Amino acid sequence: MTISFEAQLASAKWTFSTRRVDRTMAAGMDTAFAKARPGDLILAHVSEIGQHRRVQLSSGRHSDIYPGDAVVLACGARYAPDQFEGFAEILPEGADLLAGGGCIGRMVARNERIKSATRLIPAGRLLRADGAALNLDEFSVRVSARGDRIPVIAVFGTAMNSGKTVATAQLALGLRRAGWRVAALKGTGTGAFGDFNEYQDTGAHVVADFTDAGMVSTYREPLERIRAGIDRLLAHAEDAGCEIAVLEIADGLFQRETAQLLADPAFQRRISGLVFACGDAVAAAGGVAEMRRRGVVPDALTGMLSCSPMASAEAREATGIPVLGKNDLSDPAEANAFALRAGAEWWSAA
Amino acid sequence: MEREFETPTADSIVERISIATQAGPLAAFVIRPRRMAPSRPLVVLHGISRNARALVRHFRAEAEHSGRLIVLPHFTMAHWPHFQRPGHPARADQALVELLNRLAVRFPDCAGRVDLVGHSGGAQLAHRTAMLYPQRIARLSLVAAGWYCLPDMSMPYPYGLGESDARGAALWIRRKQACLAAYLGLEIRVYVGTRDTLRDPALRVSPALDERQGRNRHDRARSYVEAVRAAAFSQGKVADIALIELPGCGHDFEQAITEVGLARIVTETPDMTLVLAAAG
Repeated sequence: MTISFEAQLASAKWTFSTRRVDRTMAAGMDTAFAKARPGDLILAHVSEIGQHRRVQLSSGRHSDIYPGDAVVLACGARYAPDQFEGFAEILPEGADLLAGGGCIGRMVARNERIKSATRLIPAGRLLRADGAALNLDEFSVRVSARGDRIPVIAVFGTAMNSGKTVATAQLALGLRRAGWRVAALKGTGTGAFGDFNEYQDTGAHVVADFTDAGMVSTYREPLERIRAGIDRLLAHAEDAGCEIAVLEIADGLFQRETAQLLADPAFQRRISGLVFACGDAVAAAGGVAEMRRRGVVPDALTGMLSCSPMASAEAREATGIPVLGKNDLSDPAEANAFALRAGAEWWSAA
Repeated sequence: MEREFETPTADSIVERISIATQAGPLAAFVIRPRRMAPSRPLVVLHGISRNARALVRHFRAEAEHSGRLIVLPHFTMAHWPHFQRPGHPARADQALVELLNRLAVRFPDCAGRVDLVGHSGGAQLAHRTAMLYPQRIARLSLVAAGWYCLPDMSMPYPYGLGESDARGAALWIRRKQACLAAYLGLEIRVYVGTRDTLRDPALRVSPALDERQGRNRHDRARSYVEAVRAAAFSQGKVADIALIELPGCGHDFEQAITEVGLARIVTETPDMTLVLAAAG
């Protein structure tokens, strides 16, 4: 029995990174995988379960996956020191599930503590009716504002899992409690709903990430494109009437795109506040020194180190910068101080 | 939000609401005049006598007269044994801000700046809340606070913004410093009775406090006004602050309301005629 293209798509598991895609625009597919570029949509079948035993669906829940399952993902690269490094390349004989949020590519390195990537066999690259590849870029949020007005508090960290997402979410919560219309944004990384959902749970008025700006992953993307993506997210926040944004930048300070952003004078001018998430005091001291070398100084340290009064004291002593725990960041008084320091304007007062 | 209504009259409607906040449950009386004017809401904070219900009686007529929504939070002893000073034991500031956020769903003007009035312990909470969230306040009316957090470094926290060993002092000083410019830009009116000069048991006394702020509420009000003026001046601004003495009044808020019309004074706005005309 031949299954129609439409039926294949309808029964496939559409991953989180494809959530903005208008599925009716998929008119066919080809197997020109060599031409695949980041963001192209790929229909693939699970061939061998490895590290990822499930995918994140566009509906916001996980789905277990089984060999033979059809999945729609986006071609992309990934940089995750705790898991994989991978490139946005699709080989016809097989590809790797680089991220459960829906990133397919070729794994080039993995952390030795984790399994090999789940293997996928690509079935086709989805095409529009005009024969062009269907790409996430077409489905980015439409904006009218310029995104150059809203104050931005950036959240950087020493590494993956240093506490950036918690810091971003808790600061957004504190700002919302203080009465601000707040956007919680993720500027770089690889598409996944964990951070997105954590932001949403705070009641932030706008939640968006780089997939809303048309990228499944920002790894190996040109700085100009990443900056344009961030501007688009900020414009989206302005369109929605937000008065302030909290922007998480993924990974550690030495990660390629993070380092580029940190060193970028235009980005430095664009941010009005800076929070730095660190795992311990030594990381804090090193990170702050690196930031100072780049000409920026965090307003506060946070992250895993804030769980320990001793580590916090060490970090404070070494850097001269206050350490805030997650309860401090979600405190409306603290968040309000961030907002006023950042020059946020209380539009409701107008 | 739980609600409980007083018997409606031909005039304003008084509603008692209860909300859950991250700092604890908070009750409040909301006085809605028959004709709501497009004007800033007024929030009135009681002192340690917690006489919110009595104040409702006094401010009900003012709501009707002015057309303003008047909100009287009630910090009950059961839930708020300490409410005057945001800090470790209690975060009445959080509850107050959350109350405004919640009321804004029904009364959009609560999302804008409000006028905040506080008496005694309520004045302590009022000015400290204003130091933390100045953008949410238009006019700050302080009636006979026992002591103040001065907006300068002349005294250690919590009496001022100088360094201190008090718990969490660095955190609170930093927060207030971040908001100081906006706080000093507020319209502030400080009221105190000419006879509010007793050193009663409720008045905090210490040699340093007596020396820098004064020996009684009357003198401390004056010191606070001077400190605000000086702090604003140091930032190149002229403070919009005034000290208003209430002739013959002691420390009793209700006495000041009945004898010198304090409720009317703090409720009226300069553009009252225009506001009432707009309300029809």
